[in-house]
Amino acid sequence: MTKLFSRIKPENRPILIASAFILVILMVGTAYTLSTAGTAPLLSPGYVLQQLQIGSFLGIVAAGMMMVILLGHIDLSVPWTLTAAAMMATAVGGDMAVPTGIAVGLLVGLVNGLGVAYLRIPSMIFTLGVDSVMRGLMVAHTGGFAPQDQATPFMRFLAAEKILGIPMAIFVWALVSVIITIVLTRTSFGRSIYATGIREAAAYLSGIRTRLVIIGAFMMSGVCAAIAGVLLAGYSAKAYQGMGTPYLLPAIAAVVLGGTRILGGQGRYVGTLVGVILIVLLNSVLSIMQMPEAGRQVIYGSVIVGMLLVYGRGTKVTA
Amino acid sequence: MSGNGEPVTIEKSGVPYVQLSGISKYFAGIRALENVNFACELGSTHAILGENGAGKSTLIKIMSGVLQPSAGEMRVAGRPVHFRSPSDAADAGIVCIFQELSLLPDLSVADNISISDPPRRFGLIDGRAQRRRAEELLARIRCEDVDPRALVRDLSLSRRQMVEIAKALGKRPKVLILDEATSALTSRDVETVYELLDTLQDEGVANLFISHRMHEVDKLCDTLSVFRNGGHVETFKKAERSPSEIVRMMIGRDVEAQFPPKPEPVARPAHLSIANVKWENRLKGVNLNVGKGEIVGLGGLDGQGQKELLLALFGVLRGVEGTVRAGEVTGIPGSPDVAKGGKARIALVPEDRKTEGLMLPMSIADNLIAASYDKVSNGPVIDPAKERAAVAEGIQKLQIKIGSARDPVATLSGGNQQKVVIAKWLMTDPEIILLNDPTRGIDVGTKQEIYKLMRDLADEGRAILFYSTDYAELIGCCDRIAVMYDGAILTELTGEAISEEAIVAASLNIDTGAAA
Repeated sequence: MTKLFSRIKPENRPILIASAFILVILMVGTAYTLSTAGTAPLLSPGYVLQQLQIGSFLGIVAAGMMMVILLGHIDLSVPWTLTAAAMMATAVGGDMAVPTGIAVGLLVGLVNGLGVAYLRIPSMIFTLGVDSVMRGLMVAHTGGFAPQDQATPFMRFLAAEKILGIPMAIFVWALVSVIITIVLTRTSFGRSIYATGIREAAAYLSGIRTRLVIIGAFMMSGVCAAIAGVLLAGYSAKAYQGMGTPYLLPAIAAVVLGGTRILGGQGRYVGTLVGVILIVLLNSVLSIMQMPEAGRQVIYGSVIVGMLLVYGRGTKVTA
Repeated sequence: MSGNGEPVTIEKSGVPYVQLSGISKYFAGIRALENVNFACELGSTHAILGENGAGKSTLIKIMSGVLQPSAGEMRVAGRPVHFRSPSDAADAGIVCIFQELSLLPDLSVADNISISDPPRRFGLIDGRAQRRRAEELLARIRCEDVDPRALVRDLSLSRRQMVEIAKALGKRPKVLILDEATSALTSRDVETVYELLDTLQDEGVANLFISHRMHEVDKLCDTLSVFRNGGHVETFKKAERSPSEIVRMMIGRDVEAQFPPKPEPVARPAHLSIANVKWENRLKGVNLNVGKGEIVGLGGLDGQGQKELLLALFGVLRGVEGTVRAGEVTGIPGSPDVAKGGKARIALVPEDRKTEGLMLPMSIADNLIAASYDKVSNGPVIDPAKERAAVAEGIQKLQIKIGSARDPVATLSGGNQQKVVIAKWLMTDPEIILLNDPTRGIDVGTKQEIYKLMRDLADEGRAILFYSTDYAELIGCCDRIAVMYDGAILTELTGEAISEEAIVAASLNIDTGAAA
């Protein structure tokens, strides 16, 4: 068993562990529902699709977050970037709603990237500041009340409609995933992200434009947060204060549970996908089991810490 | 370690205070010191001389408790000692002033001077007593102008070095080790330090003095010890040996490596021309020309500006002044990205392959293409077929021994890792190749392959600027050697004039007369 385990490449181990844990969650949840209600709803296609639809918002945020974490940075401005994109999109309305939301994400990402790459302010501080600024701007924009603007029909279509019984949001998530995978594995920009994340000095001395790489990664994170915001506004039919707040920590957790090194340089996108599914399922099963909120939080946090401990022993990186 | 090591006796008046017998030190199997016997006595000023890598730094690190010897015995005042830390050594009276400053920039001068043993009152640090102590010590080295309450970060480099000396004096040393301690000082402070050393010597302190400045050694020291290749060559009184004898002792008679034959020296038009390049206080007006097909060596002792010159040419340093012309391109590149591209096409094999040359956890293939994404891509997308071809070519061209190109580059040996760095840069087809000590820490066989490759690249018409700390290598490879001293090129040696004696003499900025 351990021999088999050691044959697996180190960067794939967390992904396998997380996948195995997903199966454990499904089995425990199903055992619970079978014993209490005699049914197994967790295994029905309807339930799975519903979870994936909920997961798509988190998944898109996590995809962008992964770009930044691969550089060894972090983007804490996600909550209010997401909210601002949603609010701007609904405020503008019409055909320009979605492009406006995405433009907000690009702009915030550009500001983050400039601050981190050129001003050399630690990303944890800079993005936190940007998050606060965005929040202030949005409160000024709405006067502190829930905005009255409605999501456009196209936004609703993207988030809540179904094609062939599959929610559109899942297609959007899949499209984002395909793009991110291609960027990371098939483009010079993607290779530069890994190189910069492993050792910025060596990447710079290889003639990689590390500052542009950092700016690019933050802009991708901003765009992903904006897409999630536009979708979430479509799903809820409108934008609302604090709509992005529940996504920040789960997005970071999903990326890290998926095996991306928090110090940068290592990680596969498929791991982030697994991490997102794990977090969504864990939340869902805990609520099916009617665990009180307090207990849910404790278990949720313990699982994240516990799994990282398991990874830490298996994936010692020499750098 | 029992006392079987042969005790060293040298003709002298006193008794050795510190005595090393059979001391050896290995780093991961590589010898830094081998069976060294060394002694120093109180009331003398003792110089330690040697080339780069001769083992001087290892020796003083062992004496001052920073490193523990792999074998051998050390005695202080006749008793065997085993220092586990610098504070153990300080308790035995051995205090070292290191090259790299050990001060904490955000603490005050007084805090720094008393950092290891602050005066206390009721268990708390007595700030007033600490300041008084700092004032007394600073007065001893004529630094009354330094306010003990000032933060170290606000002091000039020279003043910081003086504070460092005051801090060492505060430990009441019996043996004071100065490792290049005067290199950062202004001339006024240097005089003060000379006087201080004289006073200390009269008070019965042993000063151990490491310096690359011969006139300094000549002026201050009464005893000299020469080290070479991790071994102690000889200890003698001043004036027993002439400067040229000392130089020859430092070089020794090493077996020469095999170098490819050099072409007949011909005058070559400059392809890379450097005029009056200055940067901060490290480069003080460098002038140099490198022609196509020529290998020009940068000689001199460590830290005379050679590395800075290479980094400046590659666009890494900010605020470089002067004129640089690379082929048809004039001007100092603003970044490595600019330097490697366009018409200039400069490549730099950096000093430290593990942190600057390679992304160690990444695959061999990823490292090989890291400088030439544009050559293996269609637009922004990497073409896997082109990538495979380029990687295979690089591996084949440098005969890199690998399992799979997908393995992390960290799994390769040092020599093969360095080949990956070089292959990465050859993929960009550079016109100008800057090499910063490319053979450091790699095996002899690979070294010879690299020498051959350098000559082949020169014959293809590339201009090569080559810095090495190994003089034999410079002599064997270079058509011309520019010896740097204190941020400028003092001497250029060509053809027959290239000899180890000439390089060492130029490095130390001395005239050896007969040896040259």
